[in-house]
Amino acid sequence: MLPLILPVVLPLLAAFLVMPLARMSALIARALGPIVLTTSLVLLLPCCLDPPAQPLVLAIGNFAPPLGIVFYGDRLALLFANAVALFFLLFWDWRGGNPQQARQDALMLLLAASATGLALSGDLFNLYVFYELAAVASFGLVSLSGTGPALVATVRYLLVSAFGSVLALAGIALLYLQTGTLNLAQLGIDPEPLQGPAGLLAFGLMVIGFGVKAELFPLNYWVPEVYASAPARISALLAGLISKLAVLILLRLLVLVYGDTAAPQILLFLGILTIFFGEFSAWRAQDFPRMIAFSSIGQLGLVFIAFSLSGSWGVLAGIAVALHHLLVKSALFGLAHRWSGSLQALTGSAQRTPLAAALFVLFALSLIGVPPLPGFWTKILVLAGLAQEGSALAFTGLGAILLVTAVEAHYLFRFALQLYEKVENAPAGFRSFWEFLPSLLLGAALLAVTLRINPVADRLRAITQQAADRSFYITQVFPQAAAHRKDQP
Amino acid sequence: MRNLAAVLFIGGLGFFLFVLFFRLPLGAPPLVAGAAILEEGGETVGAANLVTAVLLAYRGMDTLGELSILFAAATAVGLVLGRRQLVVSDPEGGFILRAGSDLLFPLLLVVGLYVILHGHLTPGGGFQGGVILAAAFFVPVLARPRRGLDHGLLSFVEGLAGAAFIGIGLWALFARDAFLEPLLGKGVLGHLFSAGTLPLLSMAVGLKVGAELAGLMTSLMEAEGRES
Repeated sequence: MLPLILPVVLPLLAAFLVMPLARMSALIARALGPIVLTTSLVLLLPCCLDPPAQPLVLAIGNFAPPLGIVFYGDRLALLFANAVALFFLLFWDWRGGNPQQARQDALMLLLAASATGLALSGDLFNLYVFYELAAVASFGLVSLSGTGPALVATVRYLLVSAFGSVLALAGIALLYLQTGTLNLAQLGIDPEPLQGPAGLLAFGLMVIGFGVKAELFPLNYWVPEVYASAPARISALLAGLISKLAVLILLRLLVLVYGDTAAPQILLFLGILTIFFGEFSAWRAQDFPRMIAFSSIGQLGLVFIAFSLSGSWGVLAGIAVALHHLLVKSALFGLAHRWSGSLQALTGSAQRTPLAAALFVLFALSLIGVPPLPGFWTKILVLAGLAQEGSALAFTGLGAILLVTAVEAHYLFRFALQLYEKVENAPAGFRSFWEFLPSLLLGAALLAVTLRINPVADRLRAITQQAADRSFYITQVFPQAAAHRKDQP
Repeated sequence: MRNLAAVLFIGGLGFFLFVLFFRLPLGAPPLVAGAAILEEGGETVGAANLVTAVLLAYRGMDTLGELSILFAAATAVGLVLGRRQLVVSDPEGGFILRAGSDLLFPLLLVVGLYVILHGHLTPGGGFQGGVILAAAFFVPVLARPRRGLDHGLLSFVEGLAGAAFIGIGLWALFARDAFLEPLLGKGVLGHLFSAGTLPLLSMAVGLKVGAELAGLMTSLMEAEGRES
């Protein structure tokens, strides 16, 4: 049970201690974060590479659910928890040198703890608490540079986020008023009272609330400003990782409670709007961070469209798109560290830093969905699912995806050609490949997945099978509920 | 355009709330978890104040999260405001203000500690008592702005109190294999020494909240002083 609790608790402990420690020894304080994150990784990695047959279920404080809080680690949750430790290590501020380093490290650790909690918790209110923690910690991190635009962007982000949080909380309260419980599994046992209009309203409020971080249209207008002014590694974590964890909450609600209602249609509709907004704005963007920020909105629209598909196909497609985007977008933001100026100023960058430009082309091809890169397979999954669905809205979604793929290809190729243009004074760009090492590693991972697509797909199918099975989740948390159910014909 | 969107949003929300009002089981909500906790909470946890039993035992993880949120907010404010040495320009308060703050300090201290230590018996607990403690230390600063507060000491108390909360949780993890399970026996319901580790957790919460809020308010005041 240690892999479930320690990766959440140890970063919190380290975050509390890092500032007092920094007064005694700067070196120990600096080492604390990486040590704790590595410990989490060591604990979680075996569970992910060789997953236990049954999910890990942990009642915190030995208070049996639904009275206490339960942590639920199925393959999907463990995979995401693992990704949190891994990506925070990749995008950790290894160089340091900030006069307020201890505070910054503390906020990073708080963000890591909350992200792990978002992946593992099986209690709606507990998820909300972790979501809030992630929000508050990210406010501090995105304003790190302290410049005027960064502060303005942060205040806007704070206002949208607070608005969303209030609505999400209202949704959770509404749900509690109708069911008397906050445990996800117990909500799933008897979802009927929630499938009426009041229940759907609760879902809508939660979609708005959690949609702020998940970059859902129309709650995403904070995204480009924040990602353009925040340090690139923070943008990488927020766009790549935290947005996916917000999506994960909605996925659990969809699988356990709202699968048979109009909720998927709402998501499909919002998803279509989101990808249109994201990709067309990206096409018009004038600088590199904004371009990939808008493109990330478009990709998350694709995730929402995928999750609206019925049955386990939708879950499979959604998780595949989400994981692909996690890898690619984090890597692209890793490049944005040096390529922060306008697109024009980057013309000819390939001359000085051919490796970085080649990496960009690789990720762009995968984003567009050129075979045999993984992006192709994820898009095919969504398109095939939409075609099977057959409704008018599904065909609209299909057309929308094909159309925006063309737009996506246009702006990404336009920039790629610009990178390879011959110019007199090529911009300096990166000093050495150490500066984009995380992107390099992620690029290698992308190629590895391309070469071994079959085993990865099998693994993904096993993950999905668990995550998409409502009664499986319920019986893992409430074994007695299953027995009770079998008695009734 | 913006006004139109606002009107649409408010209209929509109003409609939803109106519809909702007639559909909800107001007055007689189903209480699945709530009823069970009311039934067995006193016996299982041993705290006369069931709210504290829920906060620190049944949903202790949430409380740890809330503590971290407050900590994240205080840290982020510190990060934005910077921490240069302060040159407070506010004049010292008059005699009445200074004498009043001197008199209030011990009173606020006692009330704050009382509320924290009796959290498992009477209404109150770590969060409420912690705010009173913060006031106890902030009122003298208002009367004598030049003296300020020792931020180093505050961050030390804050960090150790937070670590103590998690430490108690980890102790339970290694002793009973369950993070944050109450230890030390339940005692007699209603006695000061009852409810196991809950009073200790209350104390940690109170000290942490107190140190955090006192530090936060002082930094805000110092930032204001710098600007003027």
